[in-house]
Amino acid sequence: MNTTYLDVLVRRMIGFAGVLFILSLMIFVLARVVPGDPARIALGPSATQAQVEAMRQEMGLDQPVIVQYADYLTGALQGDFGRSLISGKPVMPEIMALLPATLELVLVTLLIMIAVSVPLGVVTARYRNTWIDNTGRFFSIVGVTMPSFLFAILLQLVAANFIADWPLLGRVSHTLDLPPGPTGLLLVDSLLHGRGDVFVSALKHILFPALALAMAGIGQVTRITRSAMIEHQRRDHVLTLKSFGVPDRVIIFRYLLKLSSIAPLTIMGLEFASLIGNAFVVELVFSWGGFASYGLEAILQKDLNAVMAVVLVSGFFFIVANLVIDVALLVIDPRLRFKEAR
Amino acid sequence: MVQPLLDIAGLNVAFHTYGYRAHVLKDVSLTIPEGGRVALIGETGSGKSVTAKTILGTLPANAAVESGAVRFAGRDVLTLPEAERDAMKGTAFSIIMQDPLSSFNPVFRIGRHLDDVMRFADRRLGRASKEQERTRQIHAVLRKVQLSDPERICRAYPAQLSGGMRQRVLIALALLHQPRLLIADEPGTALDVTTQDEIMKLINRLVAENGLSLLMITHNLGVVRQMADDIYVMRHGEIVEHGALRTLFTAPRQDYTRQLVEAIPPLYGPQVTDQPPVATPPIVELAGVWKTFRERRLIGRGSAHDAVRDVSLSIRQGEIFGLAGESGSGKTTVARMIMGLIGPSAGTISVAGTALAGTVRSEAFRRLTQIVYQNPGTSLNPKRTVGQTLSVPLTFSGLERARHGERITRLLRQVDLAPHYVSKYPHELSGGQKQRVAIARALAANPKIIVLDEPTSALDVSVQKNVIALLQRLRDELGLTYLFISHDLSLMRNFCSRIAIMLKGEIVEEGEPKSVFAAPEHPYTRALIAAVPVMAEEEERMKPSVSLEERRRFLVDAVA
Repeated sequence: MNTTYLDVLVRRMIGFAGVLFILSLMIFVLARVVPGDPARIALGPSATQAQVEAMRQEMGLDQPVIVQYADYLTGALQGDFGRSLISGKPVMPEIMALLPATLELVLVTLLIMIAVSVPLGVVTARYRNTWIDNTGRFFSIVGVTMPSFLFAILLQLVAANFIADWPLLGRVSHTLDLPPGPTGLLLVDSLLHGRGDVFVSALKHILFPALALAMAGIGQVTRITRSAMIEHQRRDHVLTLKSFGVPDRVIIFRYLLKLSSIAPLTIMGLEFASLIGNAFVVELVFSWGGFASYGLEAILQKDLNAVMAVVLVSGFFFIVANLVIDVALLVIDPRLRFKEAR
Repeated sequence: MVQPLLDIAGLNVAFHTYGYRAHVLKDVSLTIPEGGRVALIGETGSGKSVTAKTILGTLPANAAVESGAVRFAGRDVLTLPEAERDAMKGTAFSIIMQDPLSSFNPVFRIGRHLDDVMRFADRRLGRASKEQERTRQIHAVLRKVQLSDPERICRAYPAQLSGGMRQRVLIALALLHQPRLLIADEPGTALDVTTQDEIMKLINRLVAENGLSLLMITHNLGVVRQMADDIYVMRHGEIVEHGALRTLFTAPRQDYTRQLVEAIPPLYGPQVTDQPPVATPPIVELAGVWKTFRERRLIGRGSAHDAVRDVSLSIRQGEIFGLAGESGSGKTTVARMIMGLIGPSAGTISVAGTALAGTVRSEAFRRLTQIVYQNPGTSLNPKRTVGQTLSVPLTFSGLERARHGERITRLLRQVDLAPHYVSKYPHELSGGQKQRVAIARALAANPKIIVLDEPTSALDVSVQKNVIALLQRLRDELGLTYLFISHDLSLMRNFCSRIAIMLKGEIVEEGEPKSVFAAPEHPYTRALIAAVPVMAEEEERMKPSVSLEERRRFLVDAVA
């Protein structure tokens, strides 16, 4: 059985390496095609033509495009994405410093998504076509249709007007001194260092941004869990258990839930991409100071090197997330493991 | 009079959907004496399973018991408080589920299912059982249903066990608490004949050894002869006839029962039809054909599987060539190669004089062979009308649009359907009508050869008889050649002009049905014929005999 896991993993990784390669190619070509000379952007409007030419040489822009791409790729593989055109500082260290903030936000969002939508899906399936189901459906649609920044602003308004002492901006109260490392995720680090005050503060800060970000996903995953539950409810294996008097709650929470988690889990992987996209805006609203707001800044300032790095790094995390989900599916669904038996 | 174990009296059940009321059980009365074996027979939709569900208390939410009583040992289970009724599930009566493939949750181990059923039944009886104790009991019951390695079975996921093994686990599930009444809902019908036969023998023995009562629900009258003493015949929700086994089959009082009995193709005896042998040049020829399926992997060795090994056969023009064998024996792979859908790994295939290389589906070839699938319920697109379905092959065979209507009308007439069926959707048709449409679709391209992949196994016997008669007539009228794939040997005995038996990818026996059935040479053929449930004692005696050793050698699921 072990070789099956390994086989699937290696297959996926090869596939994902291909995806990253194509992504890098596309973003590189795009960066070279868009109007605006990187050297000119870096030097600003007041530089002379000679200065720009010198800069072009320094940046390797006078080389053939193939060579430029090869150089870029070798650099990227070693974690070097060049320098920011605006600040002149290397891109990678800056991204690495901001990445944990976004990662923490996304992970908490995913947790909220699962914690809310799976029970909601189960309940709406159990009470299908009653007022409970209809209410659930209404809020699902609201969640999916309303853009996440709207939720972000709404939640901020609620916090500002109705909840005393609730933090509105940032990751953690700045009166606290933060524990050093090792992960950069405040919730994890504070626990590792036994800092309850930091943990509580970080939790308060992250709750509303994560909630705003989770809304769209909650709507979708609830609906998918609900239809998976309903689909499987009709199956013979449920009838088997019912015929022998196994209680409904056991049938639902043990037997149906595991089977019905396969579909929403698959969706989660795709959800991850839109999460990063939406985080760009939500981070801005909450002054989160993460990787996503860095990306937004880079796009607005045409800082091409930074944009490319942001795209590739988020692509990388999207792929890792899907790899994790593939393995989780292998663990949950034994049929995927025994396919060679047929 | 002794009180019967189960006494159903004047039961009326109706289903309500979207304001419509469908009366599915009409005044049904049935009694099972203690230790009795009773069969409830009837065709699809007659209300057999609803009766079982009413006893068990697993009717769907939109069903309502309108009147009547279901008395178990004198107590009406319909009026019992829910807790008391639940306590009877699996302990007083239990069910052997029909379909071993879908009756287990695929993402849980077999042991989990067994343990949960046992644990909650114990709890309802007010016993707190220890896990170890339960495991011991479960293992003991698994051994009783002749699963020799209970630990491995409990650890396995459903997909890791064969159909026969899963069916045995379903029986074990029903026996965990030694119920007094066993309800068997068409057990084994989804399995091969030989496996089904072993399962029946097992149930029979368990019932006899443990002094259980049995309610056997089935549409297979051959099975009934071995499994029941008392028979109820059901039709459209009503019990139409009731009687002892001997009198009911030999002298049925109702026309419907007589039709049911007569619709079953005989295996031996004077009623058997011999199809005349055909002496024409061959139209399909296979020489030394192999087909190997390989699993592709990057890491570790992928398994390879020889689906077809060294098969040579020739089908003559106008013949009905039967290919018999159990699931996984390679019948369908042979058919798909003849159709040119997949290419052979080795050997040569020629159809109508052209040698096939690889997967060539040229226009001309596409018209040569067509197929009728097993289940018309899934092989017809539910969103397309009969006319739309039939016009697809017509377009492919190059008929201009304007002439489709006329051709479709003729096709429908050929399969005995009125022209107005052209605008119907599949869900408006009965199973037999759907299969007629599927046959018309195969005819549309004017093929020379039609592959019939178990075309009647999803149909009731009375419908099967008509479809078979239709196929025979079409062959005579249109000069078709049939490749008939099936595991229904009694049907093949009467329908085919030549048959071949496949075992694990090889053809082990071939010849005219008359001689193959009279003196089967290969032990596997003997085992296969011996497993066919038949209607009369005389037929049973004419079956070939198989030694235990032979059965063990060739049947995966043989009972000791």
